[in-house]
Amino acid sequence: MTPVTDPMLQLLAPDGSYGVEKSFALYGEVIDSLDEDQLKTFYRDMARIRRFDQEAIALQRQGQLGLWVPAIGQEAAQIGSGYAVGKNDHIFPSYREHGVAITHGVELMSILKMMRGVNHGGWNPEETRFHLYAIVLGSQVLHAVGYAMGVKLDGKVGTGDLENDLAVISYFGDGATAEGDVSESLLFAAVNEAPIVFFIQNNQWAISSNIASQTKVPLYRRGEGFGVPGLRVDGNDVLACYAATKMHMDEAREGKGPYLLEALTYRIGAHTTSDDPTKYRDDSEVEYWKARDPIARFEVFLRRQGVEDSFFDEVAVAGDELARDIREQTFALPKPPLESIFDNVYSDEHPEIDIQRAWLRAYEDQMGSHE
Amino acid sequence: MSIAKFPLPDVGEGLTEAEIVSWRVSPGDKVEVNQTICEIETAKSVVELPCPFEGEVSELLAAEGDTVEVGTPIIAVTVKGNAPLLTEMDAPAAEPGDTGAEYQLPNLVGYGDSGEVKSRRKRAVNTAPISTAIPVSMVTAAATADSVMAKPPIRKLAKELGVDLASVTGTGMHGEITREDVVGSASQASVFKNLTTPQQPSEREERLPVKGVRKAIATAMVKSAFTAPHVSIFVDVDATRTMEYVKRLKASVDFAGIKVTPLLIMAKAMIWAVRRNPMVNSTWTDKEIIVHNFVNLGIAAATPRGLIVPNIKDADSMNMLELAQAIEQLAATAREGKTTPEDMAEGTITITNIGVFGVDTGTPILNPGEVSIVALGSIRKKPWVVDDEIVVRNITTIGATFDHRVVDGDVASRFVQDVASVIEEPALLLD
Amino acid sequence: MSNYQEMAIAKALNAGMRKAMQKDEKVLVFGEDVARLGGVFRVTEGLLAEFGENRIFNSPIAESGIVGTAIGLAMRGYRSVAEIQFDGFVFPAFNQITTQLARLTYRSEGYQQMPVVIRIPVGGGIGAVEHHSESPEAYFAHTPGLRIVSPSSPNDAYWMIQQAIESPDPVIFLEPKRRYWQKGPVNLDTAPLPLHSARLLKEGTDLTLIAHGPMVATALQAAELGAEEGVSIEVIDLRSLAPVDYPTLLASVQKTSRVVIAQEAPNNVSLSSEIAARIAEQAYYYLEAPVVRVVVLTLHIHPQNSKRSIFLMQTAFWRPLIGFWLTRETR
Repeated sequence: MTPVTDPMLQLLAPDGSYGVEKSFALYGEVIDSLDEDQLKTFYRDMARIRRFDQEAIALQRQGQLGLWVPAIGQEAAQIGSGYAVGKNDHIFPSYREHGVAITHGVELMSILKMMRGVNHGGWNPEETRFHLYAIVLGSQVLHAVGYAMGVKLDGKVGTGDLENDLAVISYFGDGATAEGDVSESLLFAAVNEAPIVFFIQNNQWAISSNIASQTKVPLYRRGEGFGVPGLRVDGNDVLACYAATKMHMDEAREGKGPYLLEALTYRIGAHTTSDDPTKYRDDSEVEYWKARDPIARFEVFLRRQGVEDSFFDEVAVAGDELARDIREQTFALPKPPLESIFDNVYSDEHPEIDIQRAWLRAYEDQMGSHE
Repeated sequence: MSIAKFPLPDVGEGLTEAEIVSWRVSPGDKVEVNQTICEIETAKSVVELPCPFEGEVSELLAAEGDTVEVGTPIIAVTVKGNAPLLTEMDAPAAEPGDTGAEYQLPNLVGYGDSGEVKSRRKRAVNTAPISTAIPVSMVTAAATADSVMAKPPIRKLAKELGVDLASVTGTGMHGEITREDVVGSASQASVFKNLTTPQQPSEREERLPVKGVRKAIATAMVKSAFTAPHVSIFVDVDATRTMEYVKRLKASVDFAGIKVTPLLIMAKAMIWAVRRNPMVNSTWTDKEIIVHNFVNLGIAAATPRGLIVPNIKDADSMNMLELAQAIEQLAATAREGKTTPEDMAEGTITITNIGVFGVDTGTPILNPGEVSIVALGSIRKKPWVVDDEIVVRNITTIGATFDHRVVDGDVASRFVQDVASVIEEPALLLD
Repeated sequence: MSNYQEMAIAKALNAGMRKAMQKDEKVLVFGEDVARLGGVFRVTEGLLAEFGENRIFNSPIAESGIVGTAIGLAMRGYRSVAEIQFDGFVFPAFNQITTQLARLTYRSEGYQQMPVVIRIPVGGGIGAVEHHSESPEAYFAHTPGLRIVSPSSPNDAYWMIQQAIESPDPVIFLEPKRRYWQKGPVNLDTAPLPLHSARLLKEGTDLTLIAHGPMVATALQAAELGAEEGVSIEVIDLRSLAPVDYPTLLASVQKTSRVVIAQEAPNNVSLSSEIAARIAEQAYYYLEAPVVRVVVLTLHIHPQNSKRSIFLMQTAFWRPLIGFWLTRETR
């Protein structure tokens, strides 16, 4: 268990009470500017994404998905940061950021399709500004840095023109920080003063490896050696995640260079549906973190702000509807035509692809298509 | 109302079976979507399975403690109307993807190996072999004049049998030349000719009267053999260049339609060698030796009535084309049996071509009135030494018989050597 | 009348990149030591002065980072020409090249094009130490989604680098380093061929000799020696290693019936192995002899071998091999 002795930005305590430490005053100001509707949106989406997660796990257990990657317990880190991303900013996820996806209009079914083997993602990264899921750990962080370097070359950093300037946020987990590509990313970002925020969701487990085996020094300090300052935030506090991300994305956009955020959270579920966490961690640890649930504490907070029962009921009902809808859509997913395996291997015409496509056609004609 | 069956899924990316640890429901229980119905243990972990249907449990299809293969139905549930999943797994011939006809099999893992079996394939609709390779049509259709299609083993066979692939029509599936095509085309050196042997005759003997051509041959042979002292000498020579030359002549426009064989080159060689060694082209009478300054070249021809030797008058004044035509004419006339006594008179020197019968060499008997006769034997591939290395060349033996009253050993040898050098290097004829 | 200029391959590459950068301001050039130094082989000399540090810049010594950021830049609309300093150092970038660069277009279903050129000096013969004489093309040719080319002459270098930069797909651009200073005429007006076409360099009738990159000059020498012995060798420069221009190769094999494929890379599971298999499969009915790959060695490059005859296939070693597969017989 990670002792929380390092300074950590927390605005919302596990019991739902709100408080801003003096040294974090600026972050508090970010929250002050939020209205009730925005806060309700945070809650609604956290609940939505959890309900989606639960349904997806069931679908996998029912043989409808090859696997599922649950984000249960990490909703605050994802929804909070997701909503703090600016309207032109680009997002580079790893493969568990379903919560961030819904803050940017990515269809949940797209994510399911990937886990069902219909495609590798298939949503439009340019339109949604939410790039495709990346399965090779840490590989996407270099892409994010390259993208940010391109933004800088475009001159869209620090001009003060918020309509056009943009920054990049790169998500990865505690396990990925061990990969060489992540270190190289920090290096490139720093020497190029790239407009990028590195957002580490430290859910403390990389399959069965505890965070203690991935780092000797808290992850928010990972960037120090490279020249990238960092901050730890309570990853189960949606307001802290929002405030930190907003402030540092704004700064990156303004040209202050790269920043690193470590959201300390916990992976309540398994790594994926193929995993069995009971084999390597204690139930007592899980219970400890369940008591720090991001959605529960936010509900307490909202109720204290005067939000009525009816809102929470409506969210629950919407959740069930969402689940039903996802279930129906999943069963209705068509098998893509076999020939689609040849599409987009190259952008340009390619003789080998033509030959193979022709071969498959000839083969299918002889055998009679079984599609 | 219908029965929906839930097949055991692969819950861990490649699992093939699981054990039912415990059931949480019994027949008759009402169940909701996602309600936990059982606990299973896989190679990786213990997992709770949520129910895919809403309805009433009709039957548990596996018992606690059973190990079940992925894909085997484990529970049957009565469902209302058209649930997204319905009917039995062994419903006949329904394709996945048909609306509501069967439990959906997704692309990704899901059902491991056993899922494959359930994907039905129709029989091949035509029996042509499926090319597992990239279509052969990739090879450009524009075949050049030189290109010949034959599998490597067939090419080897063609070489062994002396068959020129360019002259063979291919009857194979892709138009290539087949083994049968090659064998059918094999000629002179083929081992597949002349395989039929006639039956033993029923009489014990047959008596043929000695008369006509046979009597004449016998008389001439006896006269020749028992008056002239016959000496035969032999030399082996590399005839490869002659063969190449013959091939070139065959291919040339001037010689189109005319039979060109090594015999032509041999004839030319002899005519040239005669100029250098005139004594071999003479006639012995007891009083004098008549040296002829012209060459009436006799060519021994086998006819149905027997051996005859018509000759080409003044063969030394003919060019290659005329000589080739003359040889062809002579052979045709002999085959038709129309050779006249004039044709056979006044020969000065003779070639006998025993090579066409597959014979390497022999000791021919002089044609009466002549002092030399040369035997052209078969031309065969044999090992030969070229630049101190053993290579395969077309080798032939030149055999010649001489009348020792006129032609001594040295003259005979020089003459035969001259003939041999032309056979080895036809360019000497350019002299 | 075409405008010709005599140039070394290194200069032709430089001129080609210059032209590409002038034509499209989104073209960037980066890598280790490419800016002020102009590259350890001076291939990027002078570009910094002309285009400035926003378009040509040094990268940290982090090959994975070089390719990974090139990918991000491509997503942002840039066309990167990333240099890997030596063939033996491409391997840290192997992950980004094969799992990311080669796949992003496929993964994104066409939404993200990857117009990235990775320039790598390859091959031996410069008297260098370990890792400076490799031929890694097989690893990349085995990966769908990548294009691979290798020019053998200054004219090809000048045009192929421009064509590679214009391609919307990732191109691994292999430069034969021991030929960098080989000079030749460059036609400044007209490209000789499309990027992925092979080229018939010398016509012949007895044998087809296929080579690429640094081996092409050696193959031409072998053909000359063959001619002295009465063997007419047809020499083809592959130019494109992925895709390979099979129609050109097959037409030649149809004509000659005998094939030898030459390369510097270790023989086992090499690009030559694939070409040999394909030719045997598709030209079976035209072959007089087995398809032969030279050289037959599968070894690490030893410093001795790097500059010496056997490994680099100098023509003396080839003669018995070619002689063995030819006969003097007419076909």
